[in-house]
Amino acid sequence: MGTESPTSKPAAAPEAEVPFSSNEVRLDVRQWFLTLVVVTLVMLLTPPLWERIERFHTGPDYRIPYSLSKDYWLYARHLRQVCDPNRVIVLGDSVIWGEYVLPDGTLSHFLNREAGEPNRFINAGVNGLFPLALEGLIEHYGRSLRHQRVILHWNALWVTSPKTDLSVDEEESFNHSRLVPQFSPRIPCYKADANERLSALVERQVSFVAWVSHLQNAYFGQKGILNWTMESDGGNPPRCPNVWRNPLAQITLTVPSAARDDAKRGPKSPRHKPWFAGGAGKTRFDWVALDSSLQWRAFQRLVGILRDRGNDVMVVLGPFNEHLMAEESLRTYRKLRDEISAWLSRNQIPHLAPELLPSVLYADASHPLTEGYELLAKRICAMGDFQKWLRRQ
Amino acid sequence: MLFNTWPFLLFLLVVLPVLFALGKTRLWPLWMIVASYCFYGWWNPYYLGLVLYTTTLVFLVVALMERCPEERQKADVLARLTRLRFDDGVAKAAFVASAAAVLGLAAVALAGPATLRPTMVALGVIALLMAVGALFSSRGIWLAVGIVNTLAPLLFFKYARFTVENLNAVLSGFHVPVKLAEPSTLMPFGFAYLLPIGISFFTFQSLSYIIDVYLGKAERERSFLRFANFVCFFPILMSGPIERAGHLLPQFRQFPAVRLQNFTDGASLFLAGLFKKLVLANYLALYVDRVYESPQSFGAPALMLATIAFAWQLYFDFGGYTDMARGVAKIMGFDLVLNFNHPYLATGIGDFWRRWHISFSRWILDYIFMPLQMQWREWRAFGTAAALVVTFLVSGIWHGAAWTFVIWGALHGVGLALTFELERSAFYRKRVPKAVKQVCVFAFVCFTWIFFRANSLPDALLIVRRIFTAAWDGPQIPGLMLAAVALVWLYHVLCESKLRGVLQTRFVRVGLAVLMMLGLFLCSSGGGTFIYFQF
Repeated sequence: MGTESPTSKPAAAPEAEVPFSSNEVRLDVRQWFLTLVVVTLVMLLTPPLWERIERFHTGPDYRIPYSLSKDYWLYARHLRQVCDPNRVIVLGDSVIWGEYVLPDGTLSHFLNREAGEPNRFINAGVNGLFPLALEGLIEHYGRSLRHQRVILHWNALWVTSPKTDLSVDEEESFNHSRLVPQFSPRIPCYKADANERLSALVERQVSFVAWVSHLQNAYFGQKGILNWTMESDGGNPPRCPNVWRNPLAQITLTVPSAARDDAKRGPKSPRHKPWFAGGAGKTRFDWVALDSSLQWRAFQRLVGILRDRGNDVMVVLGPFNEHLMAEESLRTYRKLRDEISAWLSRNQIPHLAPELLPSVLYADASHPLTEGYELLAKRICAMGDFQKWLRRQ
Repeated sequence: MLFNTWPFLLFLLVVLPVLFALGKTRLWPLWMIVASYCFYGWWNPYYLGLVLYTTTLVFLVVALMERCPEERQKADVLARLTRLRFDDGVAKAAFVASAAAVLGLAAVALAGPATLRPTMVALGVIALLMAVGALFSSRGIWLAVGIVNTLAPLLFFKYARFTVENLNAVLSGFHVPVKLAEPSTLMPFGFAYLLPIGISFFTFQSLSYIIDVYLGKAERERSFLRFANFVCFFPILMSGPIERAGHLLPQFRQFPAVRLQNFTDGASLFLAGLFKKLVLANYLALYVDRVYESPQSFGAPALMLATIAFAWQLYFDFGGYTDMARGVAKIMGFDLVLNFNHPYLATGIGDFWRRWHISFSRWILDYIFMPLQMQWREWRAFGTAAALVVTFLVSGIWHGAAWTFVIWGALHGVGLALTFELERSAFYRKRVPKAVKQVCVFAFVCFTWIFFRANSLPDALLIVRRIFTAAWDGPQIPGLMLAAVALVWLYHVLCESKLRGVLQTRFVRVGLAVLMMLGLFLCSSGGGTFIYFQF
């Protein structure tokens, strides 16, 4: 350090004074170019190659397993695999997926039975979805859904309160946050920081990132690969069964399928019972007006996306469980349903409003039980508008 | 804003093109300041006031210091105080302004809202010291005023709670019915009492400038914009490296010549740093956190391995941050000092400090150890040893207001004092095998890290006790983690061996870069803040 005048000092310290680094990863232009070419090729080629190598069995009544609900890369692959002009894709949340029922107790299963074809109606529902997330799922991971017949289910549950509509100001944690609009339209209760929002946007655009997420979901128990090696059994002191396991050996190259005997679902499960069996009474809902509902607007946009892609969309409204509603709530609900129906008619969107199911066939406010789905499928198939829509070229 | 986040990438995509576009104009230093303030304000815009305070204060103090005569002259303080008879008009203006500020602040403290009283008193004391500096107008007084006033925010935000808690404990021990107020109650406008990120770093950097100018080792910077850039240069604002005025300030005098190599070198550094942080440091943290959160649940092997893992975690975390900082600065055409150089291959404790957090080690060596050693030179070896212990005690306290950091610093100080002569002996340098020295130093450093990482002093003591007494059950450390650390260690060994040339081949460089990039996509676990932000 000298005491020279300011002008006599060099503009920058000579390079020799400052060592580059303690490591030797110092790439020149050519080496950077080579590195970027290799990395780009790996990133571009791995997901499609993987799709060819990995076994993915989707037979009749297939639905994305609950544990893979957030594997959006797999969802996209599922749609690519099942899209066919002769098939009907049934889109929606857990009502379509079948929260309380087994794969052979869902709406798509019974529609197939009514149609006499085992694989005509495809269950493309995902557990935990809601219109804001379904919009993101279809926009970014459902690009293969084009020129297809689509049944889209509207579940009134999402406008039963500002909280379910996600329009409250207090922070709410909800499923599938990476699918919802990250910046616009603004979701007041979604308080993720800018980094989380931007990384969600990147994941949607870079297929390789979504593929990495698929690996984590399918083979490493929804954990990062490194986190998986540290997975604890929850004991005290914690034991980590994976510490000496080879992570690569986990990748069996077969997408895991749902357990056949899911104890939480199906007629034998303790959850599979009418909504009033637990002593629940009538409920008052704090309905959200449609013109201010985030979920309804997302549903409208979703219909637009599907139609812009040349799909023939049929909207099924409910049937929501009116039996559990207090009289006042029921009146508002019917008004909302009529408004929705009017909007769909105005926009020439085919839609059905199936008759209310018997109270005993509902598990909660919106999910039917197995027999409920059976009856609903029968009623839908018996509707002239539906048959006309199915036969339409 | 963190380097390892998407907002930073967007920030850089805005800052760099505008900076290069403004390179030939006089606006580029202003743009750099805007960028740096946005970078810092992203975390907490209110604490930008502290950066601005430090910048303005140090700039003014050094400007006033320069107006004082080199040699001590007797001043008629009474005449200055009573009749405002100053030889220098600027000193007079400084005195009048400071005195007016003291009076104004005192008035607000007395008549204003009670919540503002502590802040007004603190600012009043700072203004009073400035008035005293102007009144005496000597370089030494300005140096002292500059140091005290620059350190004041750091002392308040970092050490007030620790001091108050300990004083209250002492007072209560002596049954004195006095309880000092919790520092958070002194914050104005209901602001939270949070440690401003990077305060230690920009404070130490500013202090080095005042001291260097006082000692004649650096020129006073006449441009406020250039000086503000020196204090708030965003790559180093949060966690260093702590730059010296003589090295960094000249680089702001004209727009640096940016070549293609700046981009390739900068990107290389950034990639290595990102990989160290997002893959290696975050992975090791999983194990370290689990063991250190409940040390009583783990046996000796787990506690030892967690300590070793922490040693590497800290290196990857802080070293990774520094690599990224140096990389970003390099892309903009600025060179920052090397901060880490294979510290775990050190062959002595002194050697370790020449390789670990080099910019900080040099700071405490130059500004604490050297003056103390000079002061105590008559005591010869004992004076040097005492200076080392005191220096590293300060280093420990700098790292954090907790007894664990004090002990960590003391251990290094005592270790250095005890091995200072040994490391210089021919026997140690020539007879003791290098590997033995490296293992011994690494073991010592790891032992001290226990105090650095433990959540509390009782935890640290428990860990030390259990390492020697607890059962030897399975450590539950992933084999992949051990393999990763072993490979990095091997890489370091190769770097310092005759085989370094192998690592410089095109194939190895490209291969490692590809592996690091893919590793970031495949294995990075979230973002996470940096350990050294808390200091």
